[in-house]
Amino acid sequence: MSSIRVNPYPMPDLLAALENLQQQQNTATLELASGSSINKPSDNPAAAAQLVQINDLSSQVDSYQQSISSLSGQFSTADSTLDSVVTVLQRAISLGVEGANGTLSDTDRADVATELTGIQSQLLSLANTSYQGQYIFAGTATTQPFVADPTQASGVRYAGNNGTNSVSIGTGYQLQINLPGSEIFNGPGADVFQAINDLITSMQNNTGIAAAVTELGTALTYVSGQQVFYGNALDQTQSQQTYLNTQSLGLSQQQNTVGAANLAAVASQVENDQIATSATLAAIGKMPQTSLFDYLK
Amino acid sequence: MGSLYGALSIATGALGAEQGALDATTNNVANANTPGYSRLQPVLVESSPIEVGSVTYGTGVSLEKLQSLRDPILQLRIQEETQQQGQLNASLAAMQQAQVQFTTSSGDIGTEISNFFSSLNQISTDPTNLTLRQGALTAAGNMATAFNNTANSLSSQQSSLDLNVTQDVGQINVLTGQIATLNTQISELQGVNQDASALLDQRDVLVGNLSNLIDVSSIQGDGGLTLTTSNGTALVVGGQSFALNTQTNASGLQDVYAQGNDITADLTSGDLAGVLQARDQTIPGLLSNLDALAEGISNALNTANQQGFDLNGKAGGNLFVPPPAGGPGAAAGMAVAITNPALIAASSDGTPGSNGNLTVLSAVQNQPVVSGQTPTGYYSNIVFSVGNDVSNDTAELSASQSILSQLQDQSNSISGVSLDEEASNMVQYQRAYDAAANVVTTINDMLYTAINMDTLTV
Repeated sequence: MSSIRVNPYPMPDLLAALENLQQQQNTATLELASGSSINKPSDNPAAAAQLVQINDLSSQVDSYQQSISSLSGQFSTADSTLDSVVTVLQRAISLGVEGANGTLSDTDRADVATELTGIQSQLLSLANTSYQGQYIFAGTATTQPFVADPTQASGVRYAGNNGTNSVSIGTGYQLQINLPGSEIFNGPGADVFQAINDLITSMQNNTGIAAAVTELGTALTYVSGQQVFYGNALDQTQSQQTYLNTQSLGLSQQQNTVGAANLAAVASQVENDQIATSATLAAIGKMPQTSLFDYLK
Repeated sequence: MGSLYGALSIATGALGAEQGALDATTNNVANANTPGYSRLQPVLVESSPIEVGSVTYGTGVSLEKLQSLRDPILQLRIQEETQQQGQLNASLAAMQQAQVQFTTSSGDIGTEISNFFSSLNQISTDPTNLTLRQGALTAAGNMATAFNNTANSLSSQQSSLDLNVTQDVGQINVLTGQIATLNTQISELQGVNQDASALLDQRDVLVGNLSNLIDVSSIQGDGGLTLTTSNGTALVVGGQSFALNTQTNASGLQDVYAQGNDITADLTSGDLAGVLQARDQTIPGLLSNLDALAEGISNALNTANQQGFDLNGKAGGNLFVPPPAGGPGAAAGMAVAITNPALIAASSDGTPGSNGNLTVLSAVQNQPVVSGQTPTGYYSNIVFSVGNDVSNDTAELSASQSILSQLQDQSNSISGVSLDEEASNMVQYQRAYDAAANVVTTINDMLYTAINMDTLTV
């Protein structure tokens, strides 16, 4: 009797082994089902913390993209409105040139003047364009920016303000999103409403028409110059959109690198665990059901 | 010179000894599945021989005692490891429950912080839009709710741990009382040289259960077993047990007292220590981190909102209810101070269409608000520390489990009953008994021969 005595109760050890295997299988199955290797912080604390930050960045990028898509509607509206302003002004200039032609009768000039008055109110309406309930040329005011006012020399009063807004479309990237209406329509020496008013008056009085046409030409050039602002803004948001798409892709790749389950590895782990479980169960099943007592008959 | 009667007495002695040995086997087989049972081994000794002239005659065998096989040192190691495991189990269970709150989901604090700033950014594209403003206000409410829910759930976990303290103390008192009673019975038996192995086994089981609850050092002295906590507080001294009790402390939680002394902070292992660690350190630590974060975010956003003007052109007020300064309860009490979305101070100059101050509000997302860290940065650190605690405890517990199972294997290999071994012993004792019985028969025959010698025909 010199051999080392062995533990006659192997069952608790085997049961503990089974329990461990079951635990591993549960974790692996959860990974397969969720596609994520981090289903609770303890699965990988550092990666879980990193994911919180990546998710936050990703949410910021999403919010910049959302801002850009709201802004592009606003920019397109402003841009096409100013397009119309330019077209209308060109029509007014050609009417002025027509009126400056000395062959026109007083009645003809009166007709031209009437048409120009129509153009005047068209311009007023364009300058008061709104996008989703907000006047786009009112600065940061919310009131109607251009109001017909006979007391003014130009016949129109600017009721907006000179405020501008900026929107974040990237980390630390602020884009100015509007020009106050006064900077577009009331340029120094290039006031659209003054010019059209002068042209109408000169047409009615048949004096100084050429000068009024020149004045209108100056206003047209000025408005076209300001229109560039919206074209640029649109371009900037588009190129930023491209950049954000790349960034978003990069972030979701990072999310995958940090947190996605390696499906192939997990699946084979499940397979292995199942084999080990079967083996352990077989071992328990094959444990001697008998002892020496059964043979002492 | 030997005698037939002498031989007969040796043989009957042998019959008795083998029967006694078989008793041990019977008891072992009967208790093969009894927890804590230590197998018995018969101790057979050769009786003192008689010398007659130059011949030494044996006087047979006697059964000295039935010895209970146990290794006290191994028992001590098992107790220590059980205490360690009890502590890890309790604190791990609490941490696992706590970390659920910090798992990324649709409503966890991290996600709600991101959502809030995201909705805030949206206002900047159309600052007069009440729908966008309402969206930001709702997101602010959700963020506050996430803080409230997490803090409340941690607090209620703390309360249920507090209940565990009382329950543990109750169980400890029952166990120490039972151990003291057994101590008395064991001393009485040992005093009259009786075998107390059955009671010793029972006591080992109880001490094992006690180790699972509290750190126990045992000293085996003349007066019986003395149990103390590791810092020397007596639990059982011989036949006397000292009950622990609990008293409500300033924060409304139960402190553990032994004979009038507060030993709450002195407990180092066992379930009770694990529960206390989770109740007094881990959870309060998490709560105070959450409070700091809630306070930092609320204050930073309030300051930012006050720098601007609301939709009515009035100077901005508080966005969140001002948190208690530096004190606890900021997370549980976090709440949005306004219900009217027009009161978000988006404007920097008082004109309603201005969005200038939103830049200031949104900047809070990436500016240090607590301990030099951004809201998400600080939160991600909390997530890391929760996850790391659980993951470390799990590793320690699994190490402790494998140590304990090795120790138990070792202990079973000494004290456990092997049915094969018992069967073989039984055969051995039976054969020896048969042989001794045969000897008796033979001697009987010989005596018969001797008695009837004169009537025998030659």
